Amino acid sequence: MSRKTDEYFKDVPMKSYDLIKEGLIVFGAVSVLIIILAIIFSSPDYPTVKAQQIATYEPLSYLQTFTDILTGKSEISHYGPPYDNDVKNSQSLFGITPAEILGTTVPINAVNDFIIEPLTRLAVIDKNVQIALEQFKNASPQQRQMWIDNYSKALDNATVMNGKVQMADGDYGPLPVMMNGLLLLGKSGLLEGALQKNESPYDFYNLDYTKPLLLFQGKVYHSVAKSLDMLGEDWGISNETGNYPGAWWLWPYTFFYQIPPMSTSPNGDLEVGLIMIGLFLVLLFLPVIPVLNKIPKWVKVYRIIWRDWYKK
Amino acid sequence: MNLTRKTQEIIRNNLSMEDALPTKMPVYVNSFAYIFGVITLSALGFVVITGIILAAFGPQWYHFSNAGHFVNSLHFWGVQVFFSALLAHLITKFFMAAWRDGRWKTWVIGMFAFALSIFEAYTGYLSQTNWDSQWIAVQAKDAMNALGIGGFFNTMNTGQVLTLHVAVIPLILVAFVLLHLIVVRSDGPVKPIEEKDSRRKK
Repeated sequence: MSRKTDEYFKDVPMKSYDLIKEGLIVFGAVSVLIIILAIIFSSPDYPTVKAQQIATYEPLSYLQTFTDILTGKSEISHYGPPYDNDVKNSQSLFGITPAEILGTTVPINAVNDFIIEPLTRLAVIDKNVQIALEQFKNASPQQRQMWIDNYSKALDNATVMNGKVQMADGDYGPLPVMMNGLLLLGKSGLLEGALQKNESPYDFYNLDYTKPLLLFQGKVYHSVAKSLDMLGEDWGISNETGNYPGAWWLWPYTFFYQIPPMSTSPNGDLEVGLIMIGLFLVLLFLPVIPVLNKIPKWVKVYRIIWRDWYKK
Repeated sequence: MNLTRKTQEIIRNNLSMEDALPTKMPVYVNSFAYIFGVITLSALGFVVITGIILAAFGPQWYHFSNAGHFVNSLHFWGVQVFFSALLAHLITKFFMAAWRDGRWKTWVIGMFAFALSIFEAYTGYLSQTNWDSQWIAVQAKDAMNALGIGGFFNTMNTGQVLTLHVAVIPLILVAFVLLHLIVVRSDGPVKPIEEKDSRRKK
């Protein structure tokens, strides 16, 4: 042994030991256990939720998502950093807004990125969409707002007949053509691709799904998550689809979302995040934190662990 | 100063071959509490092996191949066993006050490895390319953004998440685990808590 360990163990009786044999036996046993668990229980793999399914089976929710973007009621409309500079909705504590530090690193212009850009692709193959898009772009802000307000109100009472959206007649300007274009783009399965398209010369390869994920993150994803018991009140991301244990090691994290004031606070994410950082620091410095570092001596669980030693 | 000679000296004083690969142990190393660290390490090894297979075939292979799905199941249950053993290891080491006699370094390095494991598992869930990934990405982004982390780590950027999961974090995690093992073997197992003082008081 080294000088250090020789000194430490000089009065301690030693016994024979084989580290490699013990390691191999445990690795073998653990491997068998995992293989048995995998054979018996398999693993979850719930398919992705795509715009094509939403446009086909939930056309009103699909159109509502785009209408919310136009009316500015979408979750992404005034999110703040890292998507836009609108910091009034960013979470802050004691006057500090961490999201502001790096600013807008993933710029999103909701109306342009989710509506104008995909329709610009579609306009190349559909003349009506091209005309509608030009009419929308060239209209005054007041005119545009009136069309949007009228369309939004009419959509609240819209119905679906034989897969087609039925709306009352009204002054919606180019919006019915634009919205129908987005619906067809969704049904065709091309919406995600149109959203990801950008002007980068390296755009051929795209592994960034920020825009397609942000688009339906609101009511549509929440309704899917609700049907699978994966909402925040069901302990959210520590859950998993099906009867699987999920990321149970995140329970302490999700626990703090369930209790006030975090459960109702607009700064809940920041508060829970800081609590978890605080708890980690407590664990990290536990050896030198008075009282906490004495707990093992007081509760005496070590007497069970080393019972043979204390018997002697 | 000869750096090579200095390094030899540090290793000689802190980690002999008998320390690194011991053939004898103190007699008090005779308890169920010592098994959890080895189980954690074994499960980590198993997860790394299955992770290499999954990475070699690409992130979407397991959706369409029975063999791929089985390897994914092995990876999944490996992670469950890993975290179960890790938690048991952490709790038993706490009740042993295993940081005594200068072993606080082992505790601190272990805690960093624990935090890295959680981040590794988190990026794993985001890399599944299924509904769970979609939902976790949009839900978790709010916490990342609120803390200011979203400015450089985007849960919805699958390319970034995947390379973090299969390369960056595993390399750092394995380095921390190796460091943890080196200090564990260098210091040897901590002695049982001395009870002489409390007996005298009585």
